[in-house]
Amino acid sequence: MISSPSAPAQSHALAIRSVSMSYGAENVLNDISVDLAPGQVLGLLGPSGCGKTTLLRLISGLLLPDAGEIEIAGGKVAVPEAGIALPPEKRGLGMVFQDYALWPHMSVARNVAFPLQMKRVGAAECKERVAKALDRVGLGAMAERRPSDLSGGQQQRVAIARAIVAEPPLVLFDEPLSNLDRELRETMVEEIADLVAELNLSAVYVTHDHSEALTLSDHVAVMRGGRIEQTASPHDLVNHPATSAVADFLRLGCLMPVARVADGWTIEGTGLVLPEGAFEGAQAQVLLPEKALRLGASGPSTLKTTVVRAQTRSTGQALTLRVTGTPHLIRLSSSSPVKAGDMLDLSFSPEDLRWFPISDQPT
Amino acid sequence: MARGAVATGAEGSATLKWIAIIGLLLVVAIPCLFIVVQAIFPEFGSGSFAAPFSVFFKTLIDPDLFGLAGNTLLLGVGTMVCAAILAVPLAALRALFRVPGALIWDALLLIPFMIPPYIAALGWIMTLQPRGYLEQLTGIHLAPLLFSVTGIMLIMGLNTFSVVYFVLSRTFETIGARYSDVGRVFGAGQWRSFWRITLPLSMPGLAASLLLVFAMSIEEYGTPAALGRRIGFEVLVTGIENRISEWPIDLPGSATLSLVLVSMALVAFMLQRWLLTRRDYRIVGGKPQAFDKKELGVWTLPVSLLFAFVAFLATGLPILAILATALSRTISGGLKPSNLGLDHFSELLGAGSEGLVALGNSLVLGTTTALLAGLLGAITAYSVVKGRGRFRIVLDALSITPNSLPGVVVAVGIILAWNQPWLPITPYNTPFILLLAYICILLPQPVRYATASLHQLGDNLEASARVCGSGPLKAFVRIVFPLILPSMVTAMILVFAVASRELVASLLVAPVGFQTIAVFIWQQFDQGSAGLGMAMAFCAVLITTLIPLALISLLRWASKGTVAGLR
Repeated sequence: MISSPSAPAQSHALAIRSVSMSYGAENVLNDISVDLAPGQVLGLLGPSGCGKTTLLRLISGLLLPDAGEIEIAGGKVAVPEAGIALPPEKRGLGMVFQDYALWPHMSVARNVAFPLQMKRVGAAECKERVAKALDRVGLGAMAERRPSDLSGGQQQRVAIARAIVAEPPLVLFDEPLSNLDRELRETMVEEIADLVAELNLSAVYVTHDHSEALTLSDHVAVMRGGRIEQTASPHDLVNHPATSAVADFLRLGCLMPVARVADGWTIEGTGLVLPEGAFEGAQAQVLLPEKALRLGASGPSTLKTTVVRAQTRSTGQALTLRVTGTPHLIRLSSSSPVKAGDMLDLSFSPEDLRWFPISDQPT
Repeated sequence: MARGAVATGAEGSATLKWIAIIGLLLVVAIPCLFIVVQAIFPEFGSGSFAAPFSVFFKTLIDPDLFGLAGNTLLLGVGTMVCAAILAVPLAALRALFRVPGALIWDALLLIPFMIPPYIAALGWIMTLQPRGYLEQLTGIHLAPLLFSVTGIMLIMGLNTFSVVYFVLSRTFETIGARYSDVGRVFGAGQWRSFWRITLPLSMPGLAASLLLVFAMSIEEYGTPAALGRRIGFEVLVTGIENRISEWPIDLPGSATLSLVLVSMALVAFMLQRWLLTRRDYRIVGGKPQAFDKKELGVWTLPVSLLFAFVAFLATGLPILAILATALSRTISGGLKPSNLGLDHFSELLGAGSEGLVALGNSLVLGTTTALLAGLLGAITAYSVVKGRGRFRIVLDALSITPNSLPGVVVAVGIILAWNQPWLPITPYNTPFILLLAYICILLPQPVRYATASLHQLGDNLEASARVCGSGPLKAFVRIVFPLILPSMVTAMILVFAVASRELVASLLVAPVGFQTIAVFIWQQFDQGSAGLGMAMAFCAVLITTLIPLALISLLRWASKGTVAGLR
């Protein structure tokens, strides 16, 4: 349950309770619950096939859930038990599609005007609001062009203008940047973040890119196999991943199995003994976060590693290290030059480790 | 995603679904139903369900039926063989060698599509009959060949082989470029790689196009009626026409024969569909790529002559014969300058002439058919693509059923359905009955075009309209329909060209005294006014070819890339 402390009394922009959905025998979504306070952005993050796009289509009304309850801005839009199933057009949403979905037979301005026309907004006001929306995404001069005359980034901006022009209570983003190249993606993330903040939009943002999700969202729900693994603020997510799967998906560092020995725990294959963790059982997994690692043998704990690969990047060297005596790989960037085959010592503090039960294997 | 198993929140419009269902029931299902009912219950016409199957089995064991069905099969297979003999060598030469003027031969071989077969057949009669143009020019006539079963097969082969030629030359080229070159890299010579790789890979395409020829020839009325009747060679189509138009009228018999004919066409179409949808042979639809074609060398002249000869037989000769007849004041006067003149044309196009009325009727009917069939086709295709469950399968099946319904069968079904005495109102005996017949015969065309075009539209184009607040009907009208309109226009032009000169259904269901282009030509020829009939035939070919061509180029010019998908 997420709620913004500034607006506790107001109803949620979006409330999803115990929503489940299956295609035939396959369970795509399993008992999903998540809330979103007005003016906030919820990031839905996960690998492809985790159900995040399905969840977004359930919110938009393009699909209907098998069970559960979906509420938008205080109004119930889908409650299969009660026979409530509002079609998409009755939900008053804005949506940005992965493939833009601009209508090729209409000019940019007519694309953006469409949601207003559907609300029967008067022609004069409609024109003014379209101009305003296009100006906001920096395309005021392109109003009479055809979508096909625009570049990919411009088309995506038109799609964004169309999604916000009617000032909907909730805007849905379906991997909007995945069709753009990296450089453009980085600029667009910032543009969208500014726009969302400026308009105080409530939004759901689906992506498989962590940096997009962490940059844009107030809360991120990490999904895996049709379930939400963890919902947290970007900061909490990075510093306190709830499961090893979350840590693995976010690539927070190296996950290694550890076994209990007489005087504490040991990373299997190395002689390194860790002090007693707050953990029951005979076996566990630890996450060695990348940001807790330092080069050198200054301690308190030290790991011996071999350099497998050293690739030159603009920011220094990207190293892939193998923990000596194990198959585990650690990724690390370094500014000092090393080459494959070198031996390196890594230091960390045991209190920076995250502990997870062993049964929770990432897939 | 497993479409169909999931409840979508964005169902297609229910209004459109009902329009499609009612439209298809009215246009396709009712005629089919009445044929089946009539075949089973011979007394159905007088309101009785007595003696079911009595005539059905009698007709089925009738030696007449075996004769008709056998002749039909013979004609279909023979036409297939003729078409294959004409098309395969030409297609292989066209695809593998640098044939001089290849594009011109392609354009000329398109013309048989534009000449209705019955008009071509009449042209051949004028040429090869005793004292025909061939005898006038060379002193010999080939009437014994023309008025024989082989002759009918040859003429129908000439009318249909372009279908095979175009499919096959494209297939040869695509496969040649993609696979045969690979064979050559591994050491096979050009001929070896043709025989070992290209030809085997082209077999499904060849077989499918030949099955189409088979279906076209067993459904054809004009050619066997014009040529076969003189030698007593009757096929199912002419047999059905006989039973329903000549005294004593035999409704149950014609219904039973119709069922037999439809079964044959259905088998051909299912085989064809199966061949084309099998995996691994999708290369047939690929784009021809740059392909190293061999020079013909000393064979350049003979090959060019072969192309010229076949193109002349398939297009030049029938058209010239039609034109010569239309320009001759009297047939007996022969090909002499003194006998030539525009008399028939001025009679045909003169004020208040019957021909002008027939021409007008056909143009109006053709246009109306094109618009209605286009609209119903678009709505049906949309409902099928968006639909789910059993209703979708039924709709899909109904919309392609007319593919295997020959015109004569559609006519029989319509007569049986709408000529029932107990009907309070009926379109029978009004021009609307022709409209029903034409829409039924031609509906598969717009459905096919619309389905292809709908599959090319991204799902999200409609979904985004729905999220933007548009209901399903509005999303169809404002988003989907405008986007598929360009290919619908192409389909409607095709419908217009065929509907405006359709022969057999027009002969059978046209109201008394109501003439269309085809009915006019047929009757004039029957009554011995070949000149007037051929003048009309010439005008018909010209109008129904030029109007669509002009429309297409106008559209291309007007849209200039602003409308997606119009090529």
